[in-house]
Amino acid sequence: MSCSTLNSYLPKLWTPPRSRSRPPRTAITKVFAQPPILAVLSDPHVLRLAETLEDSIASTSSAFPPPPLQKLRDISSQSLLSTPWPSRKDEPFRFTDTSFIKNSDVQPVNPLSTQSLSSLGVLAEALLPSLAIIDGYLVDSLSELPELPDGVFVGALSRLNSEDIMERVSKYVSSFQGDLFWSLNGVGAPDVIVVYVPEGCKVESPLHLRFFSLNGTDKDSKTLPISNPRVLVLVEKGGEISIVEEYKGGDRNDVCYWTNSVMEIVLGDGAKVSHSYIQEQSFGAAHVKWTSVCQECTSIYELTEVSTGGKLSRHNVHVQQVGPDTVTELSTFHLAIGDQLQDLHSKLVLDHPRGFSRQLHKCIVAHSLGQAVFDGNVQVNREAQQTDAGQLTRSLLLEPRATVNVKPNLQIIADDVKCSHGAAISDLEENQLFYFRARGIDIEAARKALIFSFAAEVVERFPDSAVRKRVESLIRRLLDPSLPSREKE
Amino acid sequence: MALFTPSFSFKISASSSPRRCRFVKARRSFTLRAAVAVESPSFSSADRDGAPKLLLEVKDLSAVIAESKQPILKGVNLTVHEGEVHAVMGKNGSGKSTFAKVLVGHPDYEITGGSITYKGQDLLEMEPEERALAGLFMSFQSPVEIPGVSNIDFLNMAYNARRRKLGLPELGPIEFYGYVAPKLEIVNMKIDFLNRNVNEGFSGGERKRNEILQLAVLGAELSILDEIDSGLDVDALRDVAKAVNGLLTPNNSVLMITHYLRLLEFIKPTYIHIMENGRIVKTGDISIAEILEREGYKAISNT
Ligand SMILES: Nc1ncnc2c1ncn2[C@@H]1O[C@H](COP(=O)(O)OP(=O)(O)OP(=O)(O)O)[C@@H](O)[C@H]1O
Ligand SMILES: [Mg+2]
Repeated sequence: MSCSTLNSYLPKLWTPPRSRSRPPRTAITKVFAQPPILAVLSDPHVLRLAETLEDSIASTSSAFPPPPLQKLRDISSQSLLSTPWPSRKDEPFRFTDTSFIKNSDVQPVNPLSTQSLSSLGVLAEALLPSLAIIDGYLVDSLSELPELPDGVFVGALSRLNSEDIMERVSKYVSSFQGDLFWSLNGVGAPDVIVVYVPEGCKVESPLHLRFFSLNGTDKDSKTLPISNPRVLVLVEKGGEISIVEEYKGGDRNDVCYWTNSVMEIVLGDGAKVSHSYIQEQSFGAAHVKWTSVCQECTSIYELTEVSTGGKLSRHNVHVQQVGPDTVTELSTFHLAIGDQLQDLHSKLVLDHPRGFSRQLHKCIVAHSLGQAVFDGNVQVNREAQQTDAGQLTRSLLLEPRATVNVKPNLQIIADDVKCSHGAAISDLEENQLFYFRARGIDIEAARKALIFSFAAEVVERFPDSAVRKRVESLIRRLLDPSLPSREKE
Repeated sequence: MALFTPSFSFKISASSSPRRCRFVKARRSFTLRAAVAVESPSFSSADRDGAPKLLLEVKDLSAVIAESKQPILKGVNLTVHEGEVHAVMGKNGSGKSTFAKVLVGHPDYEITGGSITYKGQDLLEMEPEERALAGLFMSFQSPVEIPGVSNIDFLNMAYNARRRKLGLPELGPIEFYGYVAPKLEIVNMKIDFLNRNVNEGFSGGERKRNEILQLAVLGAELSILDEIDSGLDVDALRDVAKAVNGLLTPNNSVLMITHYLRLLEFIKPTYIHIMENGRIVKTGDISIAEILEREGYKAISNT
C-alpha cells in the first residue's frame, strides 16, 4: 500500500495561470489569424486538437452564434495558443497522468449521430422532468422541464430571446480562466446551456441535468470521441435553485469516450445554490470536469459530489467568495473500484470578511491499480478576517498497492481566522470489524457495512431523497458486484 | 439456539437463591423447545438425575498479546454448566477482560496453550462470528463506536445472521422494527436510539444499555458481561440488572466480570472467581465478594 501525504502551507507553490499573464499573440490556422510570434509556447498537439474542435463546430452549428458564445470561443482559442498539454512536471498534474487522452485520436462527436437515438435504454429511467444532454447536445425531444416560476430561463443560449438575460450572460460567460481543458471546452462547446434565476425567485423543484455519452469506442480503438457540454447558472440576488448534475455512459460499462465538461455558477447577493453532482461514467471513459463558482456576499453554495466512474476522472472545483459573509460547503466522495484514477482539485478563495467554508473529501480505493488524488487548496487572503474555514479529508485504501495522493493545503494571510484541516489514510478499523463479528455478522458483510458507512457521510448530504437513494444503491452495487448490475427503482 | 425469550414480567425477589432455575423452569421450558431442536447436535439431553449439562470448559488456558507476545493469561481453569451464573473479580489489569475477549475470539490475542470446549466443540477452532452464532455473547467493557452505521441496521444484520443460521427467513427493516421496538423498554431506551449510529456519542451508561439491548435482541446461551455495572447510576444499574435477569432462562448461563458486590446482589452468582495475574486463584460463593468489599484484595490473596 503506498501513499503520500504532502502538507504545504507555502504560498509560493501557487503560481497564477500562465495564460492570464501573457496575452497570446500566436496563430497557426485560419482561426488563429496572426503569424506565430511566441511559437515556443504553442503546443502543436494542443493546436491540432483545437483546430479539430473548431472545424467540427464550424461544420455543425450556426455561422452566427450569439455574441457571448462567440466571445467564449475567441477567449478560449486565444488562451489555447499559449497552453501546453500538461505534464507530470506541472504541479496541478503531478499525480494525474493524462497521457491516455493525449495518446488517443480525439474526435468530436457529430450531433447527427446523436439525434438518431434508437436504443435509449439509459434514458428509460429519466421519467422525472429533466434536461437530457447527449454527447454535449441538448436534446429537446428527450427533455422535459419541471414547472418553473416566471422569469426563469432554462435552455440553450442560442434560443435565448431575452436581451436582458443575454446581457447578463455576456457579462459572466468565461469571466474565469481555467486550464487547458477549460479552454478546450470553450472552443468545442456547441452551445451553452443557460440556467437563469431572476432576483428574489426561489425555484422549488430541483433541476435535473442529465449528461449521457452514447458515442463510445471499444477499448482497443485509438479513437476517442469527445463531447464538450457547457452550462452557465446565473442566480440573481436572493434567488434559489437546486441543481442535480449527472453523468452517465451508455449501457456498456467499458466503452471509451471523453467528456470534457464545464459548469459556471454565479450567485448574486444572498442567493443560494444547492448543487448535486453524480459522475458514473463508463470505466473506459475520460471525464474532465470544471465547476467554477463565484459567490457575492451572503450567498450560499453547497456542493455534494459522488464520483465512481471513468478510467481517468478529474474534477476541478474553483470557488471564489467575492463578498463578505458567504457560505461554501463542499462534500465529496470518490470511489475507485477498478483500474481508475479519481482526482479532485479544489480551490477555495476567501477574500472578504466572515466567510465560512466547510470541506469534506472522502475517497475509497478498492483496487490495487486504483488511484485517488486530492489537492485541496484554501486561500484565506488579507481582507478575509474572521473567516471560519475547515477542511477534512479521509481516504480508505482497501487493497495492497492502492494509491492515494493527498495534498491538503491552507494558505492563510489574514490573522484573525479560524482554520482547521485534517487528513487521514487508513484501512478498516480492526476493532469495528470485530464488533460486527462478535454479533454473528460474517467478516465480508461487516467489511461491506463499514465501507458503505464511510461513503454514507457524504451521500446523506444530498438534499433530494430520491437522489440519495439512487446513489446509495449505486455504491452498494459497485462495492458488491454480486448484486444485479442495474438497479430497479 | 435460544433465541431470546419474550417474557420480562419475571421479577427477582431479594430472596431468590442462586439456583433460581427451579422455579422458572416449568414456565419457560416451552419457549426453548423449538430453539433447542435446531441447535447443539453434539450435545445429548440433560442427565436423568437433573444434573446440569456442561456448557463451557476452560483448561490451562494461556494467551499472549498477538503483537507484543506479552503473556496475559497464564493457565486459566473454569467450568460453567447450563443455568449457572459465574462472577469473575480481580484487580485492575489482572486479565479479566482479556479472558472474556479470548473467549469470543478477539484477534488482539494469541492462544499459546490449553483448551476451551464449548458445548462439546473446540471453541478455539471457531471464528468469532461462529462463536456468536453458537450462542456466545459478550457485552464489552468499552464498546466501539461505528459512525455511519445505524443501531437498527446493525441489530437487523446481526439478527438476520442468527435467523439464517436457524434456517428462518430474514426480517426486512419494517418487520424488524416491529420486533425490536418493544425491546427498548427492557433497557429503558428511547426509540430514537435505533436511528443513532452504533455507540456514537453515547454516554457510558447508554453504551451499557445498548449492549444489553443487543443481548435482548439476539439472545445467548452464555452471556459474558464485562463490567456492565461500571459507570451506571443506581437506577441504571437496577434497569440493566433487571434486564439481564429477565433474559435468563434455566438453561442459559452468565459469566460476569465486576468489581462490586452491588451487581451481585441483583444477579446472584453461583460461583465467584478471583483472578490474579492471569490465573483464577480462588473460587467460592458470594461470601468472597463480601469479604472483598469489606477488606479488599489482600484479605483473599493467596500470596
Ligand atoms: N490489546 C492489548 N494491548 C496491550 N496491552 C493489553 C492489551 N490487552 C490487554 N493488555 C494488558 O493486559 C493486562 C490485562 O488487561 P485486562 O484488560 O484483561 O485487565 P482487566 O482485568 O480487565 O482490568 P480492569 O479491571 O481494569 O478492566 C493489562 O496490563 C493490559 O494493559
Ligand atoms: Mg477489564
